[in-house]
This record gives sequence, C-alpha cells and structure tokens, in this order.
Amino acid sequence: MFDRNEDLKLVRRCKRGEEAAFAELLGRYRNAIYGLCFRMTRRAEDARDLAQEVFIKVFSLLDRFDETYAFSSWIFRIATNHCIDHLRRNRMRFLSLDGFTGPDGEPMDLPLPDDGPGPDRLLERSEAMERLEEVVADLPPHYKVIILLRHDQDLSYEDIAVVLDLPLGTVKARIHRARAMIQQMLQARSYEI
Amino acid sequence: MKTAMQQPAPPECRQACDRMQDYLDQTLPKRESLAVFLHVRECGACRVQLETLQALYARLGEMPPIEAPADFDARILAAVPYENYRAMAPLRSPRVPVLLEQESLPAWLRSRSVRLVGLFAAAAALTAAASGVAAGTAAWTVAGVGCLPELSVRLQNLTRRVYVATVHRSIPR
Repeated sequence: MFDRNEDLKLVRRCKRGEEAAFAELLGRYRNAIYGLCFRMTRRAEDARDLAQEVFIKVFSLLDRFDETYAFSSWIFRIATNHCIDHLRRNRMRFLSLDGFTGPDGEPMDLPLPDDGPGPDRLLERSEAMERLEEVVADLPPHYKVIILLRHDQDLSYEDIAVVLDLPLGTVKARIHRARAMIQQMLQARSYEI
Repeated sequence: MKTAMQQPAPPECRQACDRMQDYLDQTLPKRESLAVFLHVRECGACRVQLETLQALYARLGEMPPIEAPADFDARILAAVPYENYRAMAPLRSPRVPVLLEQESLPAWLRSRSVRLVGLFAAAAALTAAASGVAAGTAAWTVAGVGCLPELSVRLQNLTRRVYVATVHRSIPR
C-alpha cells in the first residue's frame, strides 16, 4: 500500500532538513493517520489534534527511526500508541453521549444501542455501514485499533505485529476475538449489515 | 445479513467454526482449508456462519476513506521546527573521540586540492624513479609525503566508520 523505498528516500531527505520531503511524507500519510485517529476517537477535533501531534512527533523522532523497519509501520505505531493513550486519558469524557462530531466537524449524535434506524443521520453512507462503524467505534481500544489496521488500513498480520509490537499469534488471536465481538455486538443490538 | 450466531454442537462444526476466520484470511494450510470447505458444503448451519463472516469481512473492507481537513497540512508544516532541527544537526551526529573528528586534521591537509596535488606529485615521483630519471630514495620519499594527506583523511574516515558501527552502537542511549 505504501512504497517502502520511496518512504525511506523521503525520510533521509527529511533528516537532512529538507522541508519539501517532510511535506511529501505528510501528503502520503495525512488521510491514513487522520482516518485512524478519527475512527479511534469519533471526534473530528480530537482526530485533527491527535494526527497533527503524531506528525510533529514523527518529525522530532526521525533520528530514532530504525531503517530496517518500514516507515509506514513506524508512523502507525506512533499513531496507535498516541490514540490509545488519548483514549485512556479521556476515558470518562467518552462516556458522555453528546458533543460528538462527524469527520467534517459537524455535530453528530452518538447512536445508542437501542436506537432504531435513523434516516436523518444517514448522509452518503448506507445505514448498514453506519451501524457497523458504530459497533467498531464501541470496541475496546486495543480491539478497535487492530480491526482498523487490518480492514481500514489494509495492513497484513505481519505488519500489524510490527506496528503493535506483538507476536504474530497474539495479533491473529486478537483480530479473531475482535471480529467475534463485532458479531456479538451486532447480534445484541439486533443489527443486520 | 443475519447476525445470529449459534455455536454448533457437533465437534466437527466447532472445529470448522474455529478455523473459519483463518479460512477466509487464506492463512490455513491447504488440507485444513479443504476440510473447512467440504464441511461447510455439507453443513447448513456452518454455511450460514461462514456467509455471515464473509459479509462482515466485506463490510469492514468497505468502510469509506476519511479525508483530513483542508487546512491540515498547513497547520502541521507551520508547527514543525525546521530551523531548530537544522541547528541541532551537529548534536544528532554520532559522538566519536576527538581524534576521529574530521576537524582534528588541519584544514589544509583535508583540502581537496592539497590531496590531489600530493597524489599527483607521488605519481610523478614514482614514474620518474621507474624511468631512471630520479634517484630511488628521493622518489620514494616524495611519493610517501605526497600520499600522506589522502591517506590520513581516508584512514580517519575508515576508523570513524568502524568506531560508529561497533563501539558507538553498543553505547546505551
């Protein structure tokens, strides 16, 4: 998905202090990192702040980047750790049922499990997709991130193991568990997708 | 898609269900994959479960991409401290003993022109000695002195590289 050699060239140029190279790296990863942050937090404002902090952290840690690994794995590792830390720090805040925003920053209601289908909040996305996203959003952070890395970012199990610094077996077990949880949650909420 | 999932009682159904995700991920060994395929063909309950999982996989893969806001790049690029980064460049380079720092050799010795002239003089002296124009000892002395700048720089570079690759890397940071 991401060109490892091209990334490495850009990283080396960044290390030499070339602003244009960092801008190019930013262009390559902006949507992926912002998307991950948004789906982890479900708040446009938080996602923007988190993603920006991720990129600034990446820049400040460039010298510690080990070139034997893919840059994509490294940046996703920083992003996932940052998001999980953020969710831990703000655990109580996320219990609030209002104040959620969509990707465009517009206020959005948090769908409750026993809500019926709400046609007014479905814009371009299908109802089924909206419900699935809702269920994914309600997963515990460690399961949510692994589902997003696998299905949203399309990373392989091996890449996810590098990103999360976990053994391959643990990654597989956690993904299987996460999918089973999604199925159970869909069933509990009588959702069909 | 029905989301109902009932745990099938027979052991072969449980085994098939346990392997279904690996089957869909195509990470099962061929023989086990075939066993799942054959079981699902015969067992209606497991077939439903497999179709449910397949639909879930498909849906998860269809999550729409999310685009960063328009001003996203500009805000980051404005916040990145390039000037500081460039100013700190010397601190980021690996630390080596003073003798291995390039600056420990005199600037004239490191200069490209001195090194080239030295090499040229050495080559000329050796050629003269070989053709019998100059005395052997004098020619060898000139050649030795001529090669000295280039050799010093190269030897220092090599030693520094070896130091960084061995001693420096083993220092905990």
